[in-house]
Amino acid sequence: MKKSVALPARMAQLKEGKLFQWYSANLSRGQIFVKLFIYVFLSVVAFVFVYPFLYMVITSTKSVNDLYDLSVNWIPRSFHKENYTYAWKMLGYPRHFLISAFLTGAGVTLKVLCCSFIGYGFARYKFFGKNLLFFMAILSIIMPVQTILLPQYLIFANLQWTGSYLPLLVPQIFGYGLKGGLFIFLFRQFFLNLPTSLEEAARIDGCGSFKTFWRVALPTVRTSVVVTVVLAMVWHWNDYYEPSIYLNNAQMLPLPSMLPQVKAAYDSLFGGAIDATASNAGALVSEGTLMAAIFLVVLPVLIVYAFLQKKFMQGIERSGLGGD
Amino acid sequence: MRTRATKTQRRKALEGFMFVSPFVVGTLAFFLYPVIFSLYISFGEYTIVKEASTFEFLGWANYLNAFVEDTTFTTIFKTVVTDSLINTPLIVVFSLIIAIFLNKNFPGRGFFRTVYFLPFLLGTGYVMSILLGMDVGEEAMNMARGILLPEGVREYLGTTFTAMVETFLGRITYVFWRSGVPIILFLSGLQNINVSLYESAKVDGATEWEMLWKITLPMVSPIMLLVIVYVVIDSFSDTGNAMVTYFFEQAFRKQDFSYSAAISWIYFAFILLFVGLIFAVMKGFIHSEQSEPRRKKVRT
Repeated sequence: MKKSVALPARMAQLKEGKLFQWYSANLSRGQIFVKLFIYVFLSVVAFVFVYPFLYMVITSTKSVNDLYDLSVNWIPRSFHKENYTYAWKMLGYPRHFLISAFLTGAGVTLKVLCCSFIGYGFARYKFFGKNLLFFMAILSIIMPVQTILLPQYLIFANLQWTGSYLPLLVPQIFGYGLKGGLFIFLFRQFFLNLPTSLEEAARIDGCGSFKTFWRVALPTVRTSVVVTVVLAMVWHWNDYYEPSIYLNNAQMLPLPSMLPQVKAAYDSLFGGAIDATASNAGALVSEGTLMAAIFLVVLPVLIVYAFLQKKFMQGIERSGLGGD
Repeated sequence: MRTRATKTQRRKALEGFMFVSPFVVGTLAFFLYPVIFSLYISFGEYTIVKEASTFEFLGWANYLNAFVEDTTFTTIFKTVVTDSLINTPLIVVFSLIIAIFLNKNFPGRGFFRTVYFLPFLLGTGYVMSILLGMDVGEEAMNMARGILLPEGVREYLGTTFTAMVETFLGRITYVFWRSGVPIILFLSGLQNINVSLYESAKVDGATEWEMLWKITLPMVSPIMLLVIVYVVIDSFSDTGNAMVTYFFEQAFRKQDFSYSAAISWIYFAFILLFVGLIFAVMKGFIHSEQSEPRRKKVRT
């Protein structure tokens, strides 16, 4: 008896729910199956996307016993926090985190300031050699870094910049460096999609060209700028290639460039011998330690992205990345 | 009157030049000089011994060697090219499908959007190569395979077919992990399609399927070109790519700078040709931005 009373009330509750309202508003009965299929499809694909991440997080909490125990698959018996303390030590976390934060912060700032400046010139002005210059920007995107790596290295060696952060930072001022051409292209695209009327009004009111750019054009595209900030942040943070070429001192490397060391310690352990670095840290590098190290490296990006996510998606929706 | 016009024009050109002037400096110092240098040394033998460099001109020798003597180069080149040729359309189609789904309004959309962007956050650098190198990706596929293809069905279908399916699934993991940015690009493109187009089509009695082919795909085609070019370049110039590591090995491990330059130029020429081809082929399919708004105005 009790049940039959409760059920209609429960149904009424459900009807007020957001999900139910959405279903009843959007779907005829046949369409439910289509939507259901979409959900299942998205979930299966999402699982494949998330799996490596879950695997990493779970393995990072496993002790060596848990790792080789086949009965322990998803839920480790205990949280093995030593993995994290070893990984923290091996990565030299505080120092290299600060280096990474500095390089990423400088990279993002320079990308947004310099590439928007250059991109604005390409979007709004006509001048001699513009097409040729833009072709150069496209060419620099297409060309693999390795083609011109040696001459670039020689330039920086001649300037005695190798072993400092200058080779990573200075080219960025001039629109080069990590994917510089791509960012110029993106900013050009943003400004092309922006109606010129606002800037024209500013010009009539007596704004100079630089002031128009800085005070009117750039603030107007700020939703799109968030997109470039996120992209630049992720790329700069994860970049390990150029830093490991120009910085010959291990003490100066950014965080992701420390990962190969941990990986090497792990590999050598797998080969049977305990690596010198591993024993220095007083640790056995298990797969758990390796995964903990990876997690520590990617964690800052995940945290910052969590804060920027909403703005980022707004930026994606509003900015015309393509077109033309 | 005429002189004044040219005067303001000249002033505008000067202002424009001011904006791109950093890029001009950068192009000369960090791009054009290295490019010419690298092209120059590829036609000879460049050596550095104790700060002093020597150069001996050899003509096309390095380029010939790449095809005649070095069997490693041609094999790596072939696999990288075929891999890219197969992966690119898969990534483009897959990310377009996901983007179309994610563009619909449904509960939990935000969650899925974050999930599909996760590989990009994790995986643009060394992390991805470790995770994929530890067969974590394949393990994921093994589990997903159980969902998609139950064991009984696989046995029933026979080994050749399942082997085919499995290589396909293995490839798909790679495709998934590469499609973060393409999904984002497509989402942005889909958001920019004018909603009134769909509304008027609905009034005319068009089905969802028809709208997909007649509205969504034509309107998203400019982005499609951008995505294709992005994916091609991304897969060709990825630092974990076998070809690219081979250049690095030749130059910095074997100290054969000239040969490394030569093969990287062959590779670059191929990419350039390939991208040019894509532009030429896609030109006919791209919906031009100019014609559509005018037609829309006439209709409404």
